[in-house]
Amino acid sequence: MSSFEDADTEETVTCLQMTVYHPSHLQRGIFQSIKFYKREKLPSIEVVNFGRNSSICRYTFLDKQVSRVQFSLQSFKQFNSSVLSFEIKNMSKKTSLIVDNQELGYLNKIDLPYKCMVKFGEYQLLLEKEDGESVESFETQFILSPRPLLQENNWPAQKPTPEDGSCSSYFTHVTSPTEMDENEL
Amino acid sequence: MLCGIRRLSSMDRTLTVLHVNLYHPTLGPAAFTSVPQQLQHDTSPLLVGRGHGAHLQLQLPQLSRCHLSLEPYLEKGNTVMAFCLKVLSRKSCVWVNGLPLRYLEQVPLGASNKISFSNIQMVVRIEGGTSLEAFTCLFHLSPSPLIYRPRAEETDEWESIFQEEPPVALGESIPGLLGFSHGPSQTCTAVSCQALEEEQK
Repeated sequence: MSSFEDADTEETVTCLQMTVYHPSHLQRGIFQSIKFYKREKLPSIEVVNFGRNSSICRYTFLDKQVSRVQFSLQSFKQFNSSVLSFEIKNMSKKTSLIVDNQELGYLNKIDLPYKCMVKFGEYQLLLEKEDGESVESFETQFILSPRPLLQENNWPAQKPTPEDGSCSSYFTHVTSPTEMDENEL
Repeated sequence: MLCGIRRLSSMDRTLTVLHVNLYHPTLGPAAFTSVPQQLQHDTSPLLVGRGHGAHLQLQLPQLSRCHLSLEPYLEKGNTVMAFCLKVLSRKSCVWVNGLPLRYLEQVPLGASNKISFSNIQMVVRIEGGTSLEAFTCLFHLSPSPLIYRPRAEETDEWESIFQEEPPVALGESIPGLLGFSHGPSQTCTAVSCQALEEEQK
């Protein structure tokens, strides 16, 4: 007990939470190398690569349509700030990276806001930052979304669109992906 | 030779070149025996430091294992590589064109840049190329100082500035003091970066 009482005070750690979605993730096992829900601590100086090549990338998508390095995340400190900020950089020559409404070409980069939607191909990632005190390291946490993250794609892939053009209660009652439940129809 | 260095034979595009001049006030060129004449690098950040993982390894005990990085990127709408310098050292400050940067702070580089850290003076000049695959660094060891700073106590002009303006707070950098000579009336002497850092603390 004395070692607990005498130990240095631990700093809270910045957490970057990433909710991911792909329409074919179940059929193709795209995310099988990612450990969902488990927090992973990374050093602040690390360039975190996302892509197909597991020898270069920290996080791998098992998909031949993904570039060897698709994009990277890096932490940095803004002047006069005590917390970590992040920037995202498109590392793909073939595919644009959409961050909210901003389109990033190859080697373009942008600061990440506290919450933003990142898209490339059919991939959707919701990135959310929770500030912490430590600047030595930060944590990542992945969450798998079974449904699209975007409002305009807010219906399950297997549900057909009505041919008569009528709006069913299914659509009018939908407000956000997290609130939608087929059993409530 | 320079054409051979700069061109990628497969793409016939010119590489962006970083012309890097290096100077050490006490060790001279001996501080940079492990620095190659030329170093080609891909689009990942170029790490500078004392450690084995550094792409540009400098065998100086005052340097951190990972001291700073030079990261290539593209500004939106531009087709020529830009570079961002980020400090990776927890202990040391890196001065970039008079601006002190601390751990994880970063700044984009201009066409010509005066950088000092851990007694090292480095001037980096960027010569743009069309290739986005890689860039190359050409290193030159300077026998004389690269960055000059006027000595305040030797100039009458400096004393008159203090009489007219409120005192500068400790730790605040004085614009124009580092790296640039102000005029023919001031005596400029080269000082070590270590002394500069200590004066600023």
